Amino acid sequence: MQVNDVFQQVVLPCIYSFIASIAFGVQFNIKLRHMIAAGIGGMLCQFIFLAFEFSGTNEMLCYFFSAAAVSMYSEVMARRIHVPVNMYLVIGIIPLVPGGAIYNTMITLIGGDINLFSQRFTNTIGMAGAIAMGVFAVSSIVRLVRLIMKKAI
Amino acid sequence: MTAKELLQVTSRIGSMLIEYGAEIYRVEDSINRIAAAYGFSDGANRIEVFAIPTSLIITVNEGDDPPLTQTRRITNRGTNLDRVDKLNNLSRFICTEKPDISVISKHLEEISNRRVYNVFVQVLSYAVVGSVFTLFFGGGAVEALFSGLISMLLFSVSSFVNRVKPSVFFQSVICSVVCASLAVIISRLGLTDGFDKVIIGASMNLVPGITLTNCMRDFIAGDFLAGLYTLIEALLVAAGMAIGAASAIALFTML
Repeated sequence: MQVNDVFQQVVLPCIYSFIASIAFGVQFNIKLRHMIAAGIGGMLCQFIFLAFEFSGTNEMLCYFFSAAAVSMYSEVMARRIHVPVNMYLVIGIIPLVPGGAIYNTMITLIGGDINLFSQRFTNTIGMAGAIAMGVFAVSSIVRLVRLIMKKAI
Repeated sequence: MTAKELLQVTSRIGSMLIEYGAEIYRVEDSINRIAAAYGFSDGANRIEVFAIPTSLIITVNEGDDPPLTQTRRITNRGTNLDRVDKLNNLSRFICTEKPDISVISKHLEEISNRRVYNVFVQVLSYAVVGSVFTLFFGGGAVEALFSGLISMLLFSVSSFVNRVKPSVFFQSVICSVVCASLAVIISRLGLTDGFDKVIIGASMNLVPGITLTNCMRDFIAGDFLAGLYTLIEALLVAAGMAIGAASAIALFTML
């Protein structure tokens, strides 16, 4: 792979996610000192997605693992500096939103090709489900571990 | 602290948390912890909380006195994660220090007056989100520029629609129609190659991010009623976005 390709396919999307995450931080009224960490969460999410995609993993699994990773990141950060988990999770997950897939699904609906529509619709729902499952898995495990630790003490 | 004062404090903190976009789990947990700090944990002195995204019911029992209940209807919900963070810190402070009600009221006043980003920065953030996501989904520089401009307009449209307060569904339909029609008009004028990347980028501003995340976290915590409410809200917003963009595009294809 050429250096240029790496730049185009890996570095640029990560930078875009970083900037977009910070801009979303403004929309959610997050203060400046938390914003960089939240942006890094978005970047990490995108990087892990691209890494799994490059290794040829199934698309759904890419979404699952990157959502799990960003969920893990936000849980760890939230414990470290005592902020609500939401603060990093909401922003980190934004670059994963499959905007292109949703749009294409809608366009096929207007075009009237019902077979292609149902195929794309199922695919989009699958992506959303994979993201939700990634967050679900990590958050449930973290919750369980905290409950066990509380009982043990 | 008397039962009446506790009821005042907890209902105020709870309704603020819901209004600023906290999860329902956090609301109930904070209220229970604050009550426990003042000795209202179990037995004769106890507190019962029921919260969903649209209302909050708190009942305080103290000894043999008749129970006190307060209901708060929450109509105006937004997203301000900074204030949620500060409220979270405040409830942790209350649990360790057990301050007087006057101290707590002062803190709450301070939190509800915390600065938000001014309009200029917010408009800029909309523009940045729109243009960056256009580039992210494979658009060119010109498309990113127009997407940023449309996003700026989208901010004023959405804040105007917010003042009229229709349902969330109708709100996202209106924003999406404006966004898609402008993108199609610009591409018809020959300024951009296609309108799809512009629409995708600018629409990312309307994605109900906080609603979806809260939905997932409420389901994990076992608050299924709150989770269902937020899930339906998120689905309605998404459907509104799709319907708005689809109708605008279909209309312009016919013309």
